[in-house]
Formats: sequence, structure tokens, C-alpha cells
Amino acid sequence: MQATAEPSVFVEREIFIAARPETVWELLADARQMIRWMGLTAVLDPHPGGTYRVEVIPGHVASGEIVEIDAPRRLVHTWGWEQGDSVVPPGSSTVIWELVPREDGTLLRLTHRDLPSAAAAASHTHGWEHYLGRLTQLGAGADPGPDPWITGDRV
Amino acid sequence: MDAALKAIAEPRRRQILTLVRDDELSAGEIAAHFDITRPAVSQHLTVLREAGLLSERRDGTRRLYRAEPAALAELRQFLEEFWDARLVALKHAAEQKERKKKHASHR
Repeated sequence: MQATAEPSVFVEREIFIAARPETVWELLADARQMIRWMGLTAVLDPHPGGTYRVEVIPGHVASGEIVEIDAPRRLVHTWGWEQGDSVVPPGSSTVIWELVPREDGTLLRLTHRDLPSAAAAASHTHGWEHYLGRLTQLGAGADPGPDPWITGDRV
Repeated sequence: MDAALKAIAEPRRRQILTLVRDDELSAGEIAAHFDITRPAVSQHLTVLREAGLLSERRDGTRRLYRAEPAALAELRQFLEEFWDARLVALKHAAEQKERKKKHASHR
């Protein structure tokens, strides 16, 4: 039997933070505070249907809209890259933040889902040049250096 | 991509990826193609899965495997590293903010 659904990518992460959920929430849902940990500029209209837009590194903007907002427990927004040819266009994938109170802090869960299926990836090869270029350098034994997309360095 | 490069360095793992490139197969069906033990096959499947080259899906009691196209493996790898770095930055910012709040309330 063949699989009925296209395998698609999702990412799940969990981190413990020694701070109350209210403190973590301010950094997640307040655009001015968000840029302390992600992005150069950010816009976040904290209501369903509101804009979510972050310039992650110069010229690279992630955007989508708020789907659910329940302070200080749960934030859901869509996500994608505004640059043309991205395999993940704006609004196409979903990021879910869940804050679970713990005695001495917060367990933060991140789920990034609805990422492209195999078919979508195959039809959008251009967007991969950035990563494939890095992979080629690694394969040749060269160190491409820290990826500014990942470190968030202001290049 | 280091994990992916190491994963495909082993010839049997490359054969497994070829087997599940177009068909979703169970561990048993994959093992039937090799004369190595089931635990050895499971070990290879784990390495491939952890490298992002293989997806695993449960169907009742069976686990089915399929190759992740390289572009998807790349995307997952990128996003995992991207979010890991952002989460660590968020953790530091939140813990610093919490310490300031506590300090302020103790004064």
C-alpha cells in the first residue's frame, strides 16, 4: 500500500526557561521585546488575524498572521519567507508556542508544522541555493562559517 | 549536514534509502532485503532518521519508513538549527528579565 499523505516536514522543540510564563510571554508577544531574541524589526498585532512580521536578518523577512493568542499560555501564528521563490511562502506554515508553567519556571514548546510536502519541495528548487551552497562548501572540507540565518548576526 | 553525510557513508544505509525512495516500507520489509539482523537494520534506520533522511510513520503497530527528499531534510535541518538558536536567545532574554523583576521587587 502506498502512503496516502505526502510526508511533510515538521519541527518540534522544547526548552526549560527559569522565568515565569508571564515573563516569557512578554518576549514572545510584544514586538518591541521580541527583537531582544529574534530579528531587527518586528510587528505583531496581538489579536487573531493580526499581522506577524519579523525582519530576521537584513533583507529577509518572515511573515504571517496571528491565528490564536491566549496569554500567557498559547500563541499560534502562520509563518513564511517573503523573498520570492521561497519554498515556505508567507502564511504557508504554522508556528505554535505553548507555555507550560513549572514550579521554578516555564517549559516552552515550539511546533513548526504544515511545512512543504515532498512535491512542493521538488517544484521549488531555487530557494535552496543558499543552503545547498553551504552544503557544497562543507562537502569540500571548507567551513562556510556560522550561518547568519541561524546565528541572527547582523551582516 | 554532518549527520547526513555520515549517515550515507555506510553502504547499507544508502541501499535502505534507495529501497524507500518511492515506497513506504516497514522495518520487516526492509530487513528482508538484507542478511543482517533486525536490530542491525533498526540501528541503521535510527541513524538515517536522526540525520533527517528518513521519515517514520506509525500505522497501527507497524512503523513505516520512507526517504525524505534531500530538500526536505535540508529544510528540517535548517529550521531545527534556526529555532534552537532562537530559543536559546529567548531563554537568556527571559531569564535576565526575570532576575531584574525579582531584584526590583526585593528592593
